[in-house]
Amino acid sequence: MNKIIELKDVWKIYKIDSFEFAALRGINLDIVKGEFIAIMGSSGSGKSTLLNSVGALDVPSKGRIILDGHDIALLPESDLAQIRGQRIGFIFQAFNLVPSLSAIENVMLPMTFQGILRKERIQRAEKLLDAVGLKEKLYSKPNTLSGGQRQRVAIARSLSNNPEVILADEPTGNLDSKTGGDILNLLINLQKTENKTLIIVYCDT
Amino acid sequence: MIADYVRISFNSIRHRKLRSWLTIIGIIIGIGSIIALISLSQGLQNSIEAQFASFGPDRIIISAKNFQGPGSVFAGITEKDVETTKRIGILRSVSPALARQAQFEYKDKIVFSLLFSIPAAEYIESFADFSPKLEAGRHIREGDKYVVVIGYSVANDMFDKEIRINNRITINGKKFVVVGIQKESGNRDEDNQIATTLEAAREILNEPEDVDMIIARAKSGQDIESVADKIEKALKRSRDDENFQVITPKEIAAQINQVLGVMQAVLVGIAAISLLVGGIGIMNSMYTSVLERTKDIGIMKSIGARNSDILWLFLLEAGMVGFVGGFFGLLLGIGISFGVGEIASQAGIPLLIKPNVYLILFGLFFAIVVGIISGVLPAFQAAKLKPVDALRYE
Repeated sequence: MNKIIELKDVWKIYKIDSFEFAALRGINLDIVKGEFIAIMGSSGSGKSTLLNSVGALDVPSKGRIILDGHDIALLPESDLAQIRGQRIGFIFQAFNLVPSLSAIENVMLPMTFQGILRKERIQRAEKLLDAVGLKEKLYSKPNTLSGGQRQRVAIARSLSNNPEVILADEPTGNLDSKTGGDILNLLINLQKTENKTLIIVYCDT
Repeated sequence: MIADYVRISFNSIRHRKLRSWLTIIGIIIGIGSIIALISLSQGLQNSIEAQFASFGPDRIIISAKNFQGPGSVFAGITEKDVETTKRIGILRSVSPALARQAQFEYKDKIVFSLLFSIPAAEYIESFADFSPKLEAGRHIREGDKYVVVIGYSVANDMFDKEIRINNRITINGKKFVVVGIQKESGNRDEDNQIATTLEAAREILNEPEDVDMIIARAKSGQDIESVADKIEKALKRSRDDENFQVITPKEIAAQINQVLGVMQAVLVGIAAISLLVGGIGIMNSMYTSVLERTKDIGIMKSIGARNSDILWLFLLEAGMVGFVGGFFGLLLGIGISFGVGEIASQAGIPLLIKPNVYLILFGLFFAIVVGIISGVLPAFQAAKLKPVDALRYE
């Protein structure tokens, strides 16, 4: 068993004024390389909080999240940024593309933060956008793309640094069922062909 | 790497075009007014220095101090002081001069103006050297008495009719022959000058003894300040008072530069206020930019941007706004200074406007610095946003 992520008794407690709310209560979870995991639950059940903790976007209030032997609760922000950039690809419900940048620039952005040379970045971004079927839309700004196309750009972006783990937070939530089905198929195919660990959060209502 | 960040920041500036331009305009006005005011006051300094070059570096002027404070006795310069100065024996020439208001009449038009006079025999040596060149006629020379040399404006503008060589003008009721007309110099005082012999002036002004100033010239190679010192000591001894002043070109230049320096400081101070306002404009715009791009910051952090990356992106953005504002501000400032210089020249105040490379580089550098300083606080705020909070921001 090749565990790449381990959650040990993870708690996340939000404090609003004097009121405390525990979104995660002692979660234990092992994630193995190449696994496809779906996290399901009703809205407000802590799915996104869990995903953000796994993706080093947020640190738990209590417990340990071990990623490649490092406890992310103990790492400084710059190291967390490094982990997010190199090992994790995020896909969001609201696509979360940078509106001032074109499709290809959005896909290149994670590589820019890793200091990869421009020529290499362009080649890889073109290849990835081709793979998600957006060869014709390289220089389109997000606001000229449809929801499905935007999510494809986001998928291409999540793969740009060739991460081990793809985290998708309700990736089809903003799409109609047909487009959503296409996106889901694309993700599942990628998981198989590229042997990625894929964690998808789903609202089960 | 930097080039990529520049590209990203540039895109962000372009993305909110109107607001960016409004911010940039603030900097344009700030830098533009600083550049314009500095080059105009430098132009003024240039033209004053150019006039000094024509004044003659070896001339020393001795005149009365016209105000000595309450209770002091006013005592003017007289022929006796001329003699004292001459007796020092180290000067190339010493000439008394009278400069008084007089009534001029030509073809029924009466004008009151300044009449300058110097002994006929010393006119060329002590005065003509430093006056505009002649357009027509000749200088005043030994043996002349009721003759005048007039400036360009006197000949062409002062009276209803133009004055030509050998025309006669009446000064305080006495007729004088015009023997020389000077070329236009652009300097209003010189162009409006009427010069005659001291011998004639003493007669028509009824002034047998007093002198308004003594024009002395040092010999070439002499240290003018020590010569002036010697004159001062000799006069102090013979007059037994200090109601006179010995002025050298260096002293005048120093005085004028001091006045100009104060003026320049005030003007630049005023311009700096507008630049400060421009800087606050950048800061305001950058804060807005951080706020409206909170989500973008969250996105960038989620895909691997470090705090330092975000800091750099926002600093670059502010710096670029400063640079663009500085660039156009320079163009505006240079344009204004040449425009004002042109208008001033036509109005008779010559301003020698020269584009100054250091000033231009300074302006550009300063604009970028103002941009970056104004961007520091917003950039820090952007950098320290928590990724999850930033992502949740709508």
